[in-house]
Amino acid sequence: MDFSQFNGTEQAHMTKVIEKKQMQDFMRLYSGLVERCFNSCAQDFTSKALTTNESTCVQNCTDKFLKHSERVGARFAEHNAEQMQGK
Amino acid sequence: MSFLFGGGNRSVEGSVDPAKIEMAVAELDMITDVFNRLVNSCHTKCIASTPNNHRYVEGDLLKGESVCIDRCTAKFFEVNKKVGERMSAMGSAAQASGSFGR
Repeated sequence: MDFSQFNGTEQAHMTKVIEKKQMQDFMRLYSGLVERCFNSCAQDFTSKALTTNESTCVQNCTDKFLKHSERVGARFAEHNAEQMQGK
Repeated sequence: MSFLFGGGNRSVEGSVDPAKIEMAVAELDMITDVFNRLVNSCHTKCIASTPNNHRYVEGDLLKGESVCIDRCTAKFFEVNKKVGERMSAMGSAAQASGSFGR
């Protein structure tokens, strides 16, 4: 995205828009992750409480997804940078 | 548009061009959407291919998973490019032949 065409007011406006989208994106990430880890890890419905295994599973699931997302983000940024240079 | 600063591409300080903003927002939305799809697709391909029954052994990425993610993102972008090329080819073919050809 090319910000050189934007004046000060427009940049300020875009910053606010981006902030709001980041918030929404974070909420989406959170609820998506809850659903994902629940689907994968919650298997034993003989009790209401999470078993130790399920608990560990959820921790691993969350950590792994966040690390995965980070790595994908790094590759994505690299690719975008290459694209910019190519143009 | 103010007459004080003349024409040209330089936007007037203090005014907001709604069309420009809208385009920038649309572009931002598209990029975000692509990223989210990429994350989900590569997670399914590389980490948990059975989403309802996967056993997460540890919190860090395994070596194989890391390599898979790198390749997965590269392929995703290639597919993105190919699909774009194909669709624009089909678009221009449709334009060239009018509404009769296929």
